[in-house]
Amino acid sequence: MPLLDYLANGLIFSSIIVLGSIGLSLVYSIADFANFAHGDTMTIGAYTALLTFGAVGSLGGAVLGLPFGFFVALLAGIAVAALVAVVTEWIVYKPMDVGSIGMLITSIGIAFIYRAILQLRFGADFTRYDVGALRPIEWLVPYGIRITEHDVAIVLSAAILVTGLHLLLQHTDLGRKMRAMADNPELARVSGIRTDRVKLWTWVIGAGLAGAGGVFLGLYNQLSPRMGFSLLLLIFAAVILGGIGSVYGAMLGGFLIGMINQLMPILTDYGIPIGIEYAEAVVFVIMVVVLLVRPNGIAGEAT
Amino acid sequence: MSWLANPTDEFADLTRAEQGVTLFVVGFALFLVFGLLTGGLNPSYFLFLLGLASMYALLSLGLNSQWGFTGLINFSVAAFFGIGAYGTALMSASSSPIAGGFNPMVGLIVALVVAAVIALAIGIPTLRLRADYLAIASLGLAEVVRLVVLNQQDWTNGSAGVRGIPSFFEGWPVLATFPQSMPETVIDLVPGGTITIAEPLFGFGFTFGQEIVLGTPFWRALLNVSLVFVFLGISYAVLRRVHRSPWGRVLRTIRADEDLARALGKNTYSFKMQSFVLGSLVMALAGVFYAHLNLYVSPGDLDPITTFYVWVAVILGGSGSNRGALFGGFVVVAIREGTRFLNQVTLSFDMGATEVVLSLAGFGGPMRLLLIGVIIVLLMRFRPEGLLPPQRELIWPGTVDDVPEGPDVGVREARGGADE
Repeated sequence: MPLLDYLANGLIFSSIIVLGSIGLSLVYSIADFANFAHGDTMTIGAYTALLTFGAVGSLGGAVLGLPFGFFVALLAGIAVAALVAVVTEWIVYKPMDVGSIGMLITSIGIAFIYRAILQLRFGADFTRYDVGALRPIEWLVPYGIRITEHDVAIVLSAAILVTGLHLLLQHTDLGRKMRAMADNPELARVSGIRTDRVKLWTWVIGAGLAGAGGVFLGLYNQLSPRMGFSLLLLIFAAVILGGIGSVYGAMLGGFLIGMINQLMPILTDYGIPIGIEYAEAVVFVIMVVVLLVRPNGIAGEAT
Repeated sequence: MSWLANPTDEFADLTRAEQGVTLFVVGFALFLVFGLLTGGLNPSYFLFLLGLASMYALLSLGLNSQWGFTGLINFSVAAFFGIGAYGTALMSASSSPIAGGFNPMVGLIVALVVAAVIALAIGIPTLRLRADYLAIASLGLAEVVRLVVLNQQDWTNGSAGVRGIPSFFEGWPVLATFPQSMPETVIDLVPGGTITIAEPLFGFGFTFGQEIVLGTPFWRALLNVSLVFVFLGISYAVLRRVHRSPWGRVLRTIRADEDLARALGKNTYSFKMQSFVLGSLVMALAGVFYAHLNLYVSPGDLDPITTFYVWVAVILGGSGSNRGALFGGFVVVAIREGTRFLNQVTLSFDMGATEVVLSLAGFGGPMRLLLIGVIIVLLMRFRPEGLLPPQRELIWPGTVDDVPEGPDVGVREARGGADE
């Protein structure tokens, strides 16, 4: 029964999409524009991890088939992605005086700059982390599930990050301010929230999660300067499906989009002649349908 | 008043930005002429560049009529370009998996019809959306088109692309054999020799007067350039006319304030759709030209990067300005082809004992991307209205101030004469 295998793979892919879509949704609602550089922020995280991992090496012990050094690289990826996003916000976005469409176009330029710099340094070819490929976990194989310990590590790390974000949003002062700002920026400002500072933290959190997503994407597939940009449309689809501005919607949307994407082979198994090569196309069509039927997404409030 | 009669006054009448652009264009043209005279620039390649630039100008005109006039943020330029290219290629190529072998004119018509149908299919669901949703949705649907072209081997040959596309004038009376029948012309500017101007400061000189040979490739390129000039001329004239018509005024109102347009009783959805289809047709026309220029199309031609090149051209030129779109198209080709040369550059420095050789092979692609990105960011940051904002060309000559009051000069003539 390959269904379980598809579901397991869907869960792994969803974890990556969720990490990407939370950040996109946060920035969309608080900085108020569709950030096309978000995918390339993920790529930055991935390549930072590649460099760091190459420098620190394996560092002794290992968890789930991943050496400790890899987790150091993961943290570095998160930190550098956040740092790059904050610097970009300071230098480029903050002094800008154009509407949200102008910001959107600017972010495309930023995306190209990120990608070009990575390409100048690393070339356009595919690379991978220097961690040995693992065999699928033995005791799951009889159930038809072929996943490795690395995949488990991806899902667990994503779950930890998402839980951490949930606690931050619900139980800290910053989280309350962020939710207030996402809800109504004007009202938040007149209520005495220092919106600039909250906005900066939003960039840190959003880009940091994107960096983590990028590191895992590199572990799940391979690294290439285009990796983040290719994922960007799926992430947009997830955010729109969940409802822009809702972090929990983004989680749900990311989960669904990841699942739909990986469950595509089922259609052929059941005789519907749409191959897996059209997985992305199907996702985009779903996105357009959602936009038409329920523009505020599943979790968004109707206006 | 005209450029021929009184260039100084005409120049003084321009805005600063227009003066700058004019000087840049003149300077660049002189640079190209210099390249042609010294033999550094092959005439056939020059014509190829000119054709390519005109093609980008055509794409920019198409996007300009959607974004610049109606405010539709369309990220599927590459898809319509590809539909135009594939439409004509699949109809006329010898290796076409579906029809093939038809006259390129049939290909042209089929490409335009298919582009119009797909523009409607994309427009019906997406044109009701908010501006930024339209951006994402159109980029997504462009990807769908690219995936279909890539994966439907039985329709499009998949990743192998379509070869054996005839030139556009195949089967036409005189023009079909024009490049072959023209005699090879040799231009010898300095009879019997060359003039070399050595520059002692830099240690290299320029040689003028090498023989320039105009053979079959040159005449073929000339034919292609005339074709794209015809396309460009027709599109420019049509777009200029319609944008100055009441229809164009509604479009600009929609861009400025859609609610206002609706309050005035206009069916904005219908106007947006007409503008979207019109722009897409112009983009498809560029694709048709590309297929018959390159004689080969592949799914790589539908890569989203083309879309962003065209966006740079439109924003650079000035959203809503048709002249700006022309200018932007030329600048984009300068970036695209200029960075291509980086791949061939090898610098060697003689540092005493060791010689350092710096090869830039492989740098062209990233540099191009970097340049495009930097231009987008700088433009949006410092000059979001573009280099040539449409302040002049949106105004009919009849509405300018210097219409004479007295009846001694016919008002009609005074108005009609001052057409830019």
